[in-house]
Amino acid sequence: MSTVTTMRRVLVGVGNAGVSVLDRIAVASPGLKGLMVINNDAESLAASVVSTRIDFSNEAGEDLADGFLAIEEEYARAISGATSVILCGGLGGETGSFLLPALAARAKADGITTLASVGIPFSFEGRQKRELATTALEKLRALCDAVAVIDNDRLSGGVPSTAAIGEAFQEADKALQSSVLAIQGMLSTSGPVKITRTDLAAVLGSQGAITHFGHGRAAGDNRLHEALEASFRSPLLTIPGKGSALREASMVLLLLEGPSDLSFAEVQRAVSEMERMTGDRCQIKVGVHASAAPGAPLDISIIASSGTLRQPAVKKAGESLASAASTQPSPREPAAAPIPGEVKEVRHSKPVKQNPVKQTQGVLDLENYQRGRFDKSEPTIVNGDDLDIPTFLRKGIKLGTPRDTEKN
Amino acid sequence: MANEQIFVGLEIGTTKICVIVAEGRADGTISILGVGETPSRGVRKGEIVDLATVSDCVREALLDAEDKTNVEIANVWVAITGSHFRSFNNRGTFMLPEDRDEILEEDLQTVEINAKEVSLPAANSFLHTIIQSYHVDGNENVLSPVGMAGSRLEADFHIIHGVKTRIQNTLRCIESLKLGIEDVVMSSLASALVVLTQQQKDLGALVIDMGGGTTDYLVYLDGAIRHSGVLALGGDHITNDISIGLRLPIARAEILKIKEGSADDPDKSEGGIITLKNDPGFHGCEIDRKALNTVIHLRVREIFELIRNDIESSGEGMLGMLGAGVMITGGCARLRGIAQLAEEVFEIPVQLTRAKDVGGATQTFENPQFSTAIGLAKYAMAVSGNLPRESIIQKVAHRVGGLFRRKQR
Repeated sequence: MSTVTTMRRVLVGVGNAGVSVLDRIAVASPGLKGLMVINNDAESLAASVVSTRIDFSNEAGEDLADGFLAIEEEYARAISGATSVILCGGLGGETGSFLLPALAARAKADGITTLASVGIPFSFEGRQKRELATTALEKLRALCDAVAVIDNDRLSGGVPSTAAIGEAFQEADKALQSSVLAIQGMLSTSGPVKITRTDLAAVLGSQGAITHFGHGRAAGDNRLHEALEASFRSPLLTIPGKGSALREASMVLLLLEGPSDLSFAEVQRAVSEMERMTGDRCQIKVGVHASAAPGAPLDISIIASSGTLRQPAVKKAGESLASAASTQPSPREPAAAPIPGEVKEVRHSKPVKQNPVKQTQGVLDLENYQRGRFDKSEPTIVNGDDLDIPTFLRKGIKLGTPRDTEKN
Repeated sequence: MANEQIFVGLEIGTTKICVIVAEGRADGTISILGVGETPSRGVRKGEIVDLATVSDCVREALLDAEDKTNVEIANVWVAITGSHFRSFNNRGTFMLPEDRDEILEEDLQTVEINAKEVSLPAANSFLHTIIQSYHVDGNENVLSPVGMAGSRLEADFHIIHGVKTRIQNTLRCIESLKLGIEDVVMSSLASALVVLTQQQKDLGALVIDMGGGTTDYLVYLDGAIRHSGVLALGGDHITNDISIGLRLPIARAEILKIKEGSADDPDKSEGGIITLKNDPGFHGCEIDRKALNTVIHLRVREIFELIRNDIESSGEGMLGMLGAGVMITGGCARLRGIAQLAEEVFEIPVQLTRAKDVGGATQTFENPQFSTAIGLAKYAMAVSGNLPRESIIQKVAHRVGGLFRRKQR
């Protein structure tokens, strides 16, 4: 069932950056279908774990356009029948700058919704590269339905200054990956609360606006807060020197993907947290996708846009925050997602009655007890351990006879 | 005021807030005129969590100090700490222009600016940029390069940075009391200044200031700071562990820690039973001494091990080079057995220490709890630097004067 939905969406990684991002995605979610990589470097292709690989190696001096003609048919076949194509790669290099617009044009010509998520090179990579990237980006914007842009320089806020240069690029790849996953996730929302393509285009589409991404994942009893916090802290969600970009965002898409026991209360809490982070006039749209196996981690993806916005051509009623938060799946929804909806809907409405309160409270208490007087202070975390919890408890050392001490 | 200057050090600690009023003497020593002190409320792990309450406490401590010393306090030197502080070493390089071969004062500034050209996390700002050594054309460890001939000036710095807004909270609290802030100083730096002699700094030493909410540490080697750090762990954690482990109220646990607790290896201690008396609202009970010491021992050992690992990872074998050993100060230095435990962990000689080269109220400087605050006064003295020639402090001040930059806000 899920294959049907994902098969119709094709993720294309272009160039070295695209290949490494898709490799990450393929490794992280092994079941995902519809992945494809295109690169001019046969070696990187051979090393890739993605099954559909197109070799764009052009001879020295050969025109790039000729090279594209050679692979165009293969590419067209690979994307035929897809409802949407998500292109991803780094701009600035020869392959990415040329191929991305070319691939977008072809997909668009075939009548497929085309989105792109691209990285702009670090400024230390040289002005020429950035210029090449800017030109290519303009072309892409004209061709695609929506383009998400990740300025690698903005990542440096999240990468410690002493980080090795390799780490900086890894961080850039990760950011690109989370943006691709966010877009892909938002498109594939077939759950009871949907984010529409128009919304996505509105957030990503307008020129001049800066797009911000956040992604967080957590499992366990406090999964909602942990995932939210991680996503709020994503480097791409912060503006250097200004803090969170959410405060200035004019539109935010919030997607919760998680296990089927994701409760209504959790969704509501996520929305109210988001409301708290954003300004009054910010438009928040929510998507919920609760089909993973129970116990699977909760993924929260945020796409926010600040600056001028192009409003979606048709404003949909009932997509606003208020209705999303109060959604008992509205009568309109099942019709929108007939096949996957029927299962998820039931799961979604069930926990509304029982789950929410009981679950979170019990565990928090235990933790508070262990943290004693530090229960409300910022935890001291070193190497992943919460050091506010007594050492003897963490090391599992039994104290002589602690119970005997309580003698009246 | 010609030869004598008044310096006021303010430390907003997790356990107590203290104000030291000290007088800088012409001979380079400082003499403590008096101390204002209040128990601290609204501070956790070295950082302010309740601004209004802390402001009240600070006001109380200031009034206390003014009463005792008859000094009207207008400006203070402030110690700051918190788990958000990070440090690293970096080298700045400056190539002299072709037509000049003499190193000028402003080149030192340029080289410092170059060393600071690293990308900090967006929310952070520099607190200290401290010189370690200059190198001129490959000549290592030049103390004062100004006036020397050279074509290439390099300098190693120890840089401490922290989250700007969290630093500002402390400043805001003080500004709300209409006090002027002379400078903000990292706690560990202030403590080290007062517990180490110049000779110990040259030999190499690790200073551990273990307070209520944080443990600040700093490594001196060859007269310069090589490493520093803050752990948001301290005496409060020990108390909390006791309270949880032995099921006592926090206040009881605190008294028990001070009166009976020991960080020594519980297997070596004699054991036995401690009887806590009945009190209103508290049932008397008997405590197994071994259990108490186990709790303390494990926690303190862990803190020391974290420090050791951090130092080892920043420079292998650094601990072995510290000729003067480990100095432990701060409130927890009064914990029994802490020196033995430290010796076990660091495997170099350990001393419990307190302010040195200080005159005045004896009770004050003999108490390791006041090291940071007294260190502030000493820092102030060194930076203000109108001192006669020949004194050690003067030399420090000279080196230090250009190095500790006023914090820009």
